[in-house]
Amino acid sequence: MQSYWFGDVDGEVCTPFTGDAAARARRIRTLRATMDGFIPLAWKDAVACGVCSDRSGYFSALRDLCFAAAEQDIREQYAGKDTELLQMVRTLDGMDEMINLLSERVAEWHQVRHPAFSRKYHRTPAHVLVKSISQKQRGALGRVAQQVEQLAAARTDLAREVSSRANQVMPNTSALIGGLVAARLLSNAGGLLPLSRLPASAIQVLGARTALFTHLRTKSPSPKHGIIFQHRRVHNAPKELRGKVARALAGKLAIAARLDYFRGVLVPEFLDGAQARIDRLGAGDKP
Amino acid sequence: MIRIGDVLVSQGEGGVYSERMLAGARVWDPFRSKLAALYYAGKGVELTADMRVLYLGAANGTTVSHVADYVEVVYAVEFAPRPMQDLLEVARRRKNLVPIMADASRPEQYAPLVEGVDLLYQDVAQPDQAAILARNCAFLRPGGHAILMLKTRSVDIRKTPEEVFHDTIADLATAGLEVVESVWLSPYHKDHAAIVCTKPGRVMSHE
Repeated sequence: MQSYWFGDVDGEVCTPFTGDAAARARRIRTLRATMDGFIPLAWKDAVACGVCSDRSGYFSALRDLCFAAAEQDIREQYAGKDTELLQMVRTLDGMDEMINLLSERVAEWHQVRHPAFSRKYHRTPAHVLVKSISQKQRGALGRVAQQVEQLAAARTDLAREVSSRANQVMPNTSALIGGLVAARLLSNAGGLLPLSRLPASAIQVLGARTALFTHLRTKSPSPKHGIIFQHRRVHNAPKELRGKVARALAGKLAIAARLDYFRGVLVPEFLDGAQARIDRLGAGDKP
Repeated sequence: MIRIGDVLVSQGEGGVYSERMLAGARVWDPFRSKLAALYYAGKGVELTADMRVLYLGAANGTTVSHVADYVEVVYAVEFAPRPMQDLLEVARRRKNLVPIMADASRPEQYAPLVEGVDLLYQDVAQPDQAAILARNCAFLRPGGHAILMLKTRSVDIRKTPEEVFHDTIADLATAGLEVVESVWLSPYHKDHAAIVCTKPGRVMSHE
């Protein structure tokens, strides 16, 4: 017997599958053809089956089914909790880039308008300068500076949302390394499933692609840390301990990502042990 | 193939990807579409109005829409959700396009949907491109054509494009296909080659 989208064909006998496009779409997922000695379906079987009367009717029914199946599949793929988080982190990183770029540009522009102005010895952070420009300058420069400020405000909101969403989607990883950095790891790996499949050594250097490949190609030293450097435990550790801390943290993160993917809830007994170990290392104690 | 002067075109409703129109026909740009590049760089396979096509790796439906303008029906297989959204939109306006969301390397999953085809077109940029084509040849009628768009850089980055090209042609021959044409798609696409094969056997007409 051969099963097709319109029904089951057994020799001369055809049993049509009755149901609408959505029901057909659900059924088609359960069907698997054997490819050994496979003979493609003949559309006239569908006519014999009574599913349609002519070729255009055949396509119309088949297309209805395919649309229903594809739309259902897309919906399911997007329903994964990490899909939106991924977009949010990438938007956040894009905004950071834009804000930095435009702030610098605005400062340069401002400097041209005011020959006596210099940022030397002032240590004015870029966002403070942008704020003062937006208040004092008229015309396009002031408007652009205002926009940069608004963009920065939106960025702060987004960062907060990313962090809280990361706490939901990846509670263990976020507890170890913070929501924002956890979300960046997720974005770099391409999702929670790919992240959970990465070995600890890969998580350790995630985001240090250039350094890693330079190391593999030439004799340069291997990178000790990628994105996880953004976590205080790594960048606050004394320089000679950083590699050690990064390695231990990455090991625990690999476990945390798997817990997040397969359990999806906070696992306190794992976290306590993990936090204690990394803190011990950072303090310079023997493990 | 329809050409106006030297320009390859297809007859159909425009505006799919803001393509240029020429005398009411849609200009088929070789720099955007690898299949169009094949028609410029080589001979390719003549698309006719009674053809049934299985198109693997349909992506956003750019090339698919042109193929659909020429042939009777296109079964378009795409796996990723993002381009699939675009493909569905194209298929809504082209009644001879059957969009299938499936993995081209698992023909057993969409075999209950696809009939025998005259042309198998594959553009999936995977390391095992030739094997995927061979697996899908089950849908191809004897005497039908298969076109493989080979992205040599996706197959093996350590080998030179030429090595990958020759290895793939050998693989296709082992899989029982006869290679009739193989061309590089430069200057339109870098490190891409098109390989046209036929499936040996007696040519049968449509039922």
